[in-house]
Amino acid sequence: MKRAPPWSCRRFGSLPTYLCVLAIYLFLYAPLAAVVVQSCNASRYGTAWTGFTTRWYQQLLHNEPALQAVANTLILASASTVLATVLGTSLACGLSRWRFPGRDWLERLLPVPVFVPDILLAVALLLAVVTAQQLGLGLAPGMPAMIVGHVTFQVPFVTLLVRARLAGLDPALEEAARDLGATGWQSFRHVILPLLRPAVVAAALLAFTLSLDDFVVSFFTTGPGATTLPILIHASVKRGLSPEIHALSTLLILAALVLTLALTALYRKPPIPT
Amino acid sequence: MIDPFFVAGRPSQGPVAVHETGRTQDRGRSEAPGWIGALVCGLPVLWMTLFFLLPLLGVVAMSFFSRGPDGEVTLPLTLENYRRLVGFGELGFDPLYPVVLGRSLLLGAVTTVFCLALALPLALWLARLSGRWQALALTLLVIPFWTNFLVRTYAWQVLLSPDSPLTQWLNRLGVGSAGEALYPGWGAVLIAMVCDFLPFMVLPIYVSAEKLNWTLVEAAVDLGANRWQAFRHAVWPQLRPGVAAGVVLVFLPATGQFVVPDLLGGAKIAFLGNLLQQQFGPSRDWPFGAALATVALALLLLVLAARGCRALRQEAPAP
Amino acid sequence: MKIRYAQHAIPWVRNVRRLILLLCVLWMPASEGLAASRELRLFIWSEYIDPAVVAEFERQHGCRVIMDFYEDTESMLARMLGGGDALYDVVVPSDNIVPVMIRRKLLAPLNAASLTNRIHLEARFRRPDYDPEERYTVPYLWGTMGLLVRPSPGQTPPDTWGLLFDPKLQPGPFVLIDSARDLFAAALRYLGCSLNSTNPADLRRARDLLLQTKKRAVGFEGSVGGMNKVLGRSVRAAIVYSGEAARAIHTDTNLVYLLPREGSVLWVDNLAIPARAPHRDLAEAFINWLLEPRNAARIANFTRFASPHQGARPYLNPSDLQNPAIYPPEEAFARLDYLRDLGPALRLYDEAWTQLKAR
Repeated sequence: MKRAPPWSCRRFGSLPTYLCVLAIYLFLYAPLAAVVVQSCNASRYGTAWTGFTTRWYQQLLHNEPALQAVANTLILASASTVLATVLGTSLACGLSRWRFPGRDWLERLLPVPVFVPDILLAVALLLAVVTAQQLGLGLAPGMPAMIVGHVTFQVPFVTLLVRARLAGLDPALEEAARDLGATGWQSFRHVILPLLRPAVVAAALLAFTLSLDDFVVSFFTTGPGATTLPILIHASVKRGLSPEIHALSTLLILAALVLTLALTALYRKPPIPT
Repeated sequence: MIDPFFVAGRPSQGPVAVHETGRTQDRGRSEAPGWIGALVCGLPVLWMTLFFLLPLLGVVAMSFFSRGPDGEVTLPLTLENYRRLVGFGELGFDPLYPVVLGRSLLLGAVTTVFCLALALPLALWLARLSGRWQALALTLLVIPFWTNFLVRTYAWQVLLSPDSPLTQWLNRLGVGSAGEALYPGWGAVLIAMVCDFLPFMVLPIYVSAEKLNWTLVEAAVDLGANRWQAFRHAVWPQLRPGVAAGVVLVFLPATGQFVVPDLLGGAKIAFLGNLLQQQFGPSRDWPFGAALATVALALLLLVLAARGCRALRQEAPAP
Repeated sequence: MKIRYAQHAIPWVRNVRRLILLLCVLWMPASEGLAASRELRLFIWSEYIDPAVVAEFERQHGCRVIMDFYEDTESMLARMLGGGDALYDVVVPSDNIVPVMIRRKLLAPLNAASLTNRIHLEARFRRPDYDPEERYTVPYLWGTMGLLVRPSPGQTPPDTWGLLFDPKLQPGPFVLIDSARDLFAAALRYLGCSLNSTNPADLRRARDLLLQTKKRAVGFEGSVGGMNKVLGRSVRAAIVYSGEAARAIHTDTNLVYLLPREGSVLWVDNLAIPARAPHRDLAEAFINWLLEPRNAARIANFTRFASPHQGARPYLNPSDLQNPAIYPPEEAFARLDYLRDLGPALRLYDEAWTQLKAR
């Protein structure tokens, strides 16, 4: 139970702290607000305000590459999340259930991929994809390569999250199920899996976000017609920002807002990935 | 985000429960895996080996190959790439790669320090809020986290362009000359890095701050400590795991960033990430890029190993 | 505990489901190949083709054209080397890249019989140095590289690279072009060297000059990015290609395009088919389509670059034909050079470029 801080510590809550915190929130939201404002700006070049318009949103609806990029991003995120959740959950359950030689080393090495910067992973994947292509193994740059790449960096996150939850489970529950005659599989399916469900869902959500957000791995493994939203935005920014990109970004910000509020309402607490 | 070391605990004895229920649980069973277990564990491990371990080893191996005249990877095996890294190039001695590496480490370190400075008061303030206000504040904090990283980054281009109100206001305050954009430059890169990575630092510290035992702080104050001493001796040791998690989560990705310097540095300032992207992209010098990547990987493993050793040593004498 | 899902309690069913999922993922490349029989994949510079021409081709041949874009030649080459030659059907390499691609076996020989419209090309562009037998490429558009400047009112800026390289002549904030050969060509010509120089001393001087210039520059941008920045008034000068300059001047008549007197680059972009292109016949039909005089003219009018087609002249915008930015006068050709492929000596340029970017 959380104990309220003593009155003597309320000195921490003085005006400077409030101002500091307000400044931090402003700092986090200022760029997003700028983008939203620019998406309604009538000027094509530059950021000087010349009038309100919804023209860019209308143009966005007819922008084929942007719509294709949205579709690609969602397909990529969904496919890779499903695969990564399955693989990660299996590994977590397997690690907790069975003992085999090398299990300890595997557990110790599991966090390492989390810390490898995405550019190193992207470069390694590029090499893998090109080698596979040379050997005729059918893995070409494009959607399949991107899915492989995303699953590869998602699996460690999923495994660690599920593993943490598994470690927190009361072993007495499974022992009770065993005592009542359930086989290993039955006790897993009917006792552990339902208890794991929130963790698996949280892990899947985290994996989904990681995939949506990823730029570097996608950038190195993309192929024809497989442009994702981050790649599209990056290319547009390099070419010279067009207001349609501001409109697209505003929609993405709104999507994040809606998603966060929905998850908060659903779980009755903010969706912090812990 | 979680600190995997924090969660995984002591591997040799099985994981420690995250919520400190006070008992360690060894979930290993004495039954042998059988072929089901082999498949359940083996398939993910096979995947990670095929698409993570082997390609990384391939990159290390490629760093010993040469670059052909048209950018192809050929024999003979050579240490030329590593010599070039140290500075012996075709146009004379130029130790710029260690400088780039140092610059990247500096960027990572400065980003981490600024994030920490901003995150500590924020996390402590958040932990002290109650009920609905806390939920609201947390939700507001998390919304930028769920927004696309690239959008958050390029948005600073918009905010710092010459005719934006922020730039004009800053110009009047004396920062930067009139009519010029504040970006590209070190300042813009740093601002965007801190803005992008702040949530990653705040959330782990908040998790620690939530479990803060305020009675210790109360005791310290009762014993006559002033604010700073109370913080240093009562609050900080309790926050340390969260801070460690946040630092590692920010420092390593920040060092390997290439998007933020690319977009906000005007592609003028090169960091490790930019160099890697350039070698595997336009310059078509894969062996040299592989050498760079190998060095980065070696540094990373060193840092992780040091941290792992320290974690093991700290937990060794526990009951 | 009653077991309701007896059939799913059997362990191997779960594994079979997982196997099916895996197979679905691996079957995706195969199914991609099956479904995409009437598809053409084009890898081209951004804003470099008229979408209406592409749409008409799609209608006439009942296929879908997928376009991927790049901003500079080196990125295109990097993508081709990274497996792109089996993914794309038509690419648009510049003249100096073609020999590299031929040596790396990235291009497929063209079937001369299907390129019936090749006869419409100007004599100047037939049998070029980089492809003497015209086996691999067909010219698409040509142009120059120069400076796009927004002059101060009432002033005429001098036509020299010194606007960038000489601090005294700097018109205001400027960007450099993010392409190694092009930027070094500008620096080498300003220093009086050949833009195809392989002399390390020349390259060192050029690199040092560029390092000094970089300190004053706002950054590096591609041609389109530079054009947008000048139009957006965040910079006053940028290195751009002629078509971008023409389009910018069309939008904002205060801008000028300068061909520096020290010399600059003359380039020709070509259509080519990658070695392992999946849809060879459709690609050749597409190239022949683009060679038709009316289509070539439409593309030239849209992109505002110069067309190498004699037959397209009647259909070109008369104002474009008179525009010196697009079709430079004969005397300007004396100070324009093609970038040549330098073979192994390109390593020097790569090294200098890396040093320029890294410092």
